[in-house]
Amino acid sequence: MHAPKRLSFAFGLALAAAGMAQAAPAPSASQRIDSLEQRLAQSQKLIEQLGAEVHALQAQIAQQAAARPAAAAAAEPAPPAAADQSERLASVEHQVEQITASSNSAHGEDRGLPLHGFADVGVGNHNPLTPANKGAAVGSVDFYLAPQLGEHTRGLVELNFEVGEDGGVGVDLERTQLGYQFGNTGTLWLGRFHTPYGYWNTAFHHGMQIATSLRRPRFLAFEDQGGILPAHSTGVWFTGNQRTGAGKLGYDLYVTNAQAIDGGVLDMRQAGNADGQVTVGGRLSFQPSSLDSLQVGVSALSGRIEDAIDPANDTRLNVFALHADWDSDALEALAEVYFFRDEALPGGGSHSSTAGYLQLGYRAGRYTPYARYERTALDQADGYFAAQLSGASYHREALGLRYDIDLKSALKLELAQTHNTDGTLARPDGSYGDALLQYAVRF
Amino acid sequence: MDMRAYAFGLVVLGFGFPAAAASAGPPMAPAATPPAASALASLPAHWLDDQGRPLDLRSLADRRLVMTMAYATCHRICPMTIHHLEALQQELDVAGEQATFVVVGFDPDSDDPAAWHQYRQDRGLNRPNWLFLTAHDAAQVRQFADRLGFEFWRYDEHVMHDERVVVLAPGGALQLSAGPGHVLHASDLSTGT
Repeated sequence: MHAPKRLSFAFGLALAAAGMAQAAPAPSASQRIDSLEQRLAQSQKLIEQLGAEVHALQAQIAQQAAARPAAAAAAEPAPPAAADQSERLASVEHQVEQITASSNSAHGEDRGLPLHGFADVGVGNHNPLTPANKGAAVGSVDFYLAPQLGEHTRGLVELNFEVGEDGGVGVDLERTQLGYQFGNTGTLWLGRFHTPYGYWNTAFHHGMQIATSLRRPRFLAFEDQGGILPAHSTGVWFTGNQRTGAGKLGYDLYVTNAQAIDGGVLDMRQAGNADGQVTVGGRLSFQPSSLDSLQVGVSALSGRIEDAIDPANDTRLNVFALHADWDSDALEALAEVYFFRDEALPGGGSHSSTAGYLQLGYRAGRYTPYARYERTALDQADGYFAAQLSGASYHREALGLRYDIDLKSALKLELAQTHNTDGTLARPDGSYGDALLQYAVRF
Repeated sequence: MDMRAYAFGLVVLGFGFPAAAASAGPPMAPAATPPAASALASLPAHWLDDQGRPLDLRSLADRRLVMTMAYATCHRICPMTIHHLEALQQELDVAGEQATFVVVGFDPDSDDPAAWHQYRQDRGLNRPNWLFLTAHDAAQVRQFADRLGFEFWRYDEHVMHDERVVVLAPGGALQLSAGPGHVLHASDLSTGT
């Protein structure tokens, strides 16, 4: 967690308050809305009248077609009256579509910007992310905006308020991305986004209500919550998918600011970096048509990761990953494995490490029990892991139960045992157990 | 506090809360019915069925339509809705009554005709009176949803949506709209409540 910043907190509150104010119309906007609603009602009345006329014309045409002998109808040209009525029908239909489109456009312009999001709170013998803390905890409040900016332009903003280890509230623009959609080929995004590797990092973002489990696998946690990979990146990302005869092929390609390790935590350098270094990566995924519950994929990324404290500890991060996901009405099975082949810079040796997890869940009505096993084997001679507070190896076994209270809220219970297997200051060797409860909602 | 005591307390809380919630309060009432006239006429007309063939919704005007929205990769709410509709179909069969079930996709990019075709094959939803429709674009989906009171928003590839079934009487008038927690039965269609 970045050190809590009161100024960031105040700014974040101001931003949220401004957003809330935008969602509620000012008095003058209210008058404008009343006027537009009157015009909309008039348009709808006209649409209904035109619709009635269309039905009447259709009935007339149907009657005339039924009265005319079939053979004679095939041989003779359409009588002028029927042809004229067909033209009138087409004209009326066109007018109705135009009015409908115009009405929808006006309505769409005045829809405002829907504000949605997620929130979660919990209680347990430990904080799910920081085992040194015990008791009740606020997780996060996440606001999500995806404005319709035009036929091709897309936008996405995800603003997250989260409570850090010391109880301070931090504000992160977790995602801020603007993109241009190239028809069916894909979308080119620019901004800060979730790095497209594996499955979890782009399937589940900051809304805990949508995920089955109470928390992310520890090594895939966000940078300030114990993750060892750059979950967020700032740069350019092209993503799309194509349906082939065999199935659906997904593709991602990105070039982003190279990350750094600052204060023991990965920093995605969202304001740029001093040396212009980049991280590049990509992912291919495939969902067979004959087995559309299955998705498999491969990912890779490479970048020079700066150690902000010790420049002699820079690393060329090279990651290759495989993922498989089975998601059906009854069963959810997720598996990812990451292979690291990092190079110490400049001119140092290489180090190999692995990380992976397997999660199984069974959907039984409102209840979804799940189990997960996570394991990392991280070479501590690799400067990339040695520099991170969360760079120690571990394995964790967890059993959990999700209960859907209703469509928008879920209760999750998780019992887990974590074993740290590399002695570090932040995570000394040893084991600890978790008994955690989470209440997660969407709105 | 001892971890075992914590775990015991959380288990009691975690299992006791749903039981208490289940026994508390009446089931949710159906949503208020929006204005009734010409509901079908107000909907976007041109769709694709799961064979990729054009379908004009207006051609169904003479039928009772049981309509809902779903997306193929939804594994929580949509299976529940489809299950309820299958049960309704069975009740109608017993009563000797007919209806056309129309499932409209939330996501035309992902839920294309091929996806819906696979979806209905996987679940055995192959009766000819069941239609799975794909819109031409997202705006058409939004227009359909707004007209019939379906609430949804996109969160990346996820669609956050409620559970709703709308019934249109033969002729296209809105007969009833059933929101979350209200499971439709054949008797509801007969009485219109």
